[in-house]
Amino acid sequence: MLEGVNRVGLHEWEIPVGYVAGMRVPGRIFLSESLGKTLEAGAVQQLANVATLPGILKHSLAMPDIHWGYGFPIGGVAAFSVDEGVISPGGVGFDINCGVRLLTTPLPYKDVSGRRDLIEELFRAVPTGVGAKSALKVSVRSLEGMMAQGAQWAVRAGYGVERDLMRCEEGGFMKTADSRAVSDKAKQRGIPQGGTLGSGNHFLEVQVVREIFNPDAAKAFGLTLGQVCCMIHCGSRGLGHQVCTDHIKTLESATKKYHITIPDRQLACAPITSPEGMAYFGAMAAAANYAWANRQMITHTTRQVFAKMFRIEYDEMPLMYDVAHNVAKFEEHIVDGNRMKVCVHRKGATRSFGPGAVDLPSDLSSIGQPVIIPGSMGTSSYILRGTQTAMERTFGSTCHGAGRIMSRTQAKKMKSGREIVADLLKENIIVRAHSENAIADEAPEVYKSSDEVVNVVHEVGLSRLVARLSPLGVIKG
Amino acid sequence: MSFEEISHTADVKIRARAPTLEALFSETFKALMQVMYGATRSGGIVREITVESPDNESLLADFLSEVLFVSEVEGLVFADARISMNGSRLTAELTGEPFDPVRHSGGSEVKGISYSGLSISHDANGYMLDIIFDV
Repeated sequence: MLEGVNRVGLHEWEIPVGYVAGMRVPGRIFLSESLGKTLEAGAVQQLANVATLPGILKHSLAMPDIHWGYGFPIGGVAAFSVDEGVISPGGVGFDINCGVRLLTTPLPYKDVSGRRDLIEELFRAVPTGVGAKSALKVSVRSLEGMMAQGAQWAVRAGYGVERDLMRCEEGGFMKTADSRAVSDKAKQRGIPQGGTLGSGNHFLEVQVVREIFNPDAAKAFGLTLGQVCCMIHCGSRGLGHQVCTDHIKTLESATKKYHITIPDRQLACAPITSPEGMAYFGAMAAAANYAWANRQMITHTTRQVFAKMFRIEYDEMPLMYDVAHNVAKFEEHIVDGNRMKVCVHRKGATRSFGPGAVDLPSDLSSIGQPVIIPGSMGTSSYILRGTQTAMERTFGSTCHGAGRIMSRTQAKKMKSGREIVADLLKENIIVRAHSENAIADEAPEVYKSSDEVVNVVHEVGLSRLVARLSPLGVIKG
Repeated sequence: MSFEEISHTADVKIRARAPTLEALFSETFKALMQVMYGATRSGGIVREITVESPDNESLLADFLSEVLFVSEVEGLVFADARISMNGSRLTAELTGEPFDPVRHSGGSEVKGISYSGLSISHDANGYMLDIIFDV
């Protein structure tokens, strides 16, 4: 483990106050000893930097998929006092409400395995990659709907069924969105991209349930062994990126105006209750809603493809759940024995609300919130459930994915996109992307083992294993 | 004048060197376009961008953010930039072509220009910077 990082429990490490000047609280990382071997000093520094921000509560936290990002580390979680704390786009990222959802199907493994025609049809139907524009036309008025009502707008516009909304974090939209704080530039970027996947690590993957760890929870989530599912991972596209870019600029001025000292310009922030802070929050919520609408529109297209190819009904593909992993939200948590409203930033981290929490649909209240952890291309994805431990330890948060350990430059030297596609095909995984480059960037080897990351959160109890899925085919940017 | 990609776990980190600040910005701009659209890009269409910012780092981040915006909404892939700077004001004449899925799909979408680790330095050999693009 890196110098200055102290073990305080199994899979738990502390960055003491003083690691960087001005820390107000210690840092806490949930990490196994073997994952600790790839922990970067830059990521620890970023975690410590977050601990210097005004109003931070308890700890600056990091999940086991922690890695070096900008502003907050990826895998970072921090909650702030509403009265004394700050809000920062550096704690959310450029891709606001990047998130993931899982659709279930009534199809068994044997019907879908090796079906290249399905992957080709999904690739044709769902726009992916740089420069992709949507076939689903979004008008100026529709864009307002996407920003104000997210997935609810999409369902009412015909891109889904009412039940989908019960299966989204926040019911598919944050009610606090304020599209007046979204610039015309951001809106211009949003109009042609509704229903597009994007590039980078975003994907749509056809998967099969390979293993069930908790039969009761799996049943409640609608998962059965050998069942084919579809996972969608994407965010708020250019609209969200522009919101982040625009507001970092105004918050940089606000940081000076409110005399806040920050160790990294990407942590530009403002008091939560200030006009600048509230403007960012309103715009961020509007972008988050756009992302929920976007994933809902992709869901619609995916259902249409499956319905046509397998002669199943559109509503035979229920949404298991949809989670955000780049977002800031107001939530109630217990701090020093008192229930209080706090502003939780999750940057590459997933909400993991335990049994009985508000915002859970009534039929899942005794189980806990479904947590979706996508694997890297070619590796397992996991479904977990939220826990009371997460409520107590991490403001109801857990990991969000595998976490990169290798740069894109290293990845490209190791294997070409063509070799990766051939290797995955040997394992009966069909990969379809616009460029070999995009595949080489995302080789399975460039990520931490998702198995190990998930084991840490399971053992610490930040979320508990329900099921494991493995890929059959994937489309990428 | 040159730019190179430096190893960075999550994102794309670029190191650029040039004799003047204008040339440094131009190199970083080319790096951005190469990351997004690959190396095959040509001119023909001209766009002008003007930004104003209080310091060099902000000026660069604002310029590149504006390039991302124009490139995306107009569907243009840029090959070159002629940059002039006057105090806190930067004007760039960009030349490019329409996005062609066949030739320009080799890259990664850049979501934003990060301020983390962004610093522009200057010595006897000229200017240098490291910058992180979020992809």
